[in-house]
Amino acid sequence: MVWLRPVQMLLIFSILVGMIGFTGFLHAGSAPELEKAKGENCIRPTEWMRRNHMDYLLHQRELTVREGVRVPEESLRNCKSCHTSRARFCDRCHTYVGVAPDCFQCHNYP
Amino acid sequence: MGRETMTMDRRTVLGLGTTVVAATLLAPGVHLIAAPTRTEAKEGRRWAMLVDVNKCSTDCTACTRACRVENNVPIFGDPNRDIHWIRKVEIRDKSHHRPTVTLPVLCNHCENPPCVHVCPTAASFVRKDGIVLVDKHRCIGCRYCMIACPYKARSLVYHETSFPKDGNPDVPIRAMGVVEKCTFCVHLVDAGKQPACVAACQNSGEASMIFGDLNDPNSEIAKRVREVKTQTIRPDLGLKPQVYYQGL
Repeated sequence: MVWLRPVQMLLIFSILVGMIGFTGFLHAGSAPELEKAKGENCIRPTEWMRRNHMDYLLHQRELTVREGVRVPEESLRNCKSCHTSRARFCDRCHTYVGVAPDCFQCHNYP
Repeated sequence: MGRETMTMDRRTVLGLGTTVVAATLLAPGVHLIAAPTRTEAKEGRRWAMLVDVNKCSTDCTACTRACRVENNVPIFGDPNRDIHWIRKVEIRDKSHHRPTVTLPVLCNHCENPPCVHVCPTAASFVRKDGIVLVDKHRCIGCRYCMIACPYKARSLVYHETSFPKDGNPDVPIRAMGVVEKCTFCVHLVDAGKQPACVAACQNSGEASMIFGDLNDPNSEIAKRVREVKTQTIRPDLGLKPQVYYQGL
C-alpha cells in the first residue's frame, strides 16, 4: 500500500515531535532553586557570573598556578564565604544542565 | 579670524593627544590600585633551602610529618606506591671512618630541571622565582619526569584520595594518575611564610633547615651559602639544584 507510506511517516514524525514536546513539558518550570548568597555583592554582576564563571575560574587558575598571581578576593576559596554549600548552589545547577566539572575532585569546597 | 576660532591650534592637539596616551597607559595601574591584595611571583628571586646535616638528628621526623599535614599527603601503606614529598635519607660509612648521618631529601628545584625538559604537556614548569611546580590540571601521568629526576623527588598518585577529616583546606588534594612533588609550600611562600618543613624544623629545636631568597644578599641563607662550605647533591649533573647541604 504505497499510499499509506506518507501517512506512516507523518505519524512517526508527529509522535517524535510529541515526545520531544512532552519531555519539554515535564522539565518546564523545574529549573533548580539555588541557595541565596549570604553576602550582598558578588565580585561580578550575577548575570555575568552565570554565563562566564567557568571561563573566569579557568583564567584565574592558569594565572595562579603558572604566574603565582594570588587575589584572595577572587579565588574559589572566597566563593565559600557567600555560597556556603556546594550541594545547594553549584551542584544543583550543574546537575540540571548536565555538566560535571572536576574542580571539586581535588579542591575543597564543603 | 573665522578660521582661527574653528580649528584647534597645534598646542591644543598635542596636549589632547598626550592626555589620551597618558590615560591609556595609566588605566591598568588604576585597576591594580583597586585590588591591593594581589600578589605575584617576582622575577629575580631565587628561593632556596639550606640543610645543616650536623644538626639533623637521626630520630627526628618533624619535617616529613609537617609536610604530610600541611599538604594533605596521604599514606597508602604500600611502600612502592606511597607519596613522598620529603624523606629522610641515612648515609652510612661502611668503613666506619665517618659517623652515620641523616638528611632530608626533597625536590631540589633545579635551575635546569630535567623533569621540565621532558614533560610532554608542559605541566612541569619553572616559576619566575625559581620554584619548580607541577600543574596537576595538565599532567597526564606519563611519568617521564619521574625517570628524569635524579633525586627521586616525584611520586605518581596510584590511588584515589579523599580529603582528610582535619585536612588543610588551603591545599587541594590530588586526582588519581598525576605526578606530584614538593612545592616548597608555594602557598605559604606566596603569603610570606616559611615552608612547613622548615617551620617544623625550627620549632623542634633542631634548626637544621633554613629557607630564603638567594638573590637577596642580606638574607640569612645567602650569607650562609657565601660564608660556609656547602654542597649540593650530584652537582656533576649540572642541574644547579637549590637545596644546599652543609657538613655532608
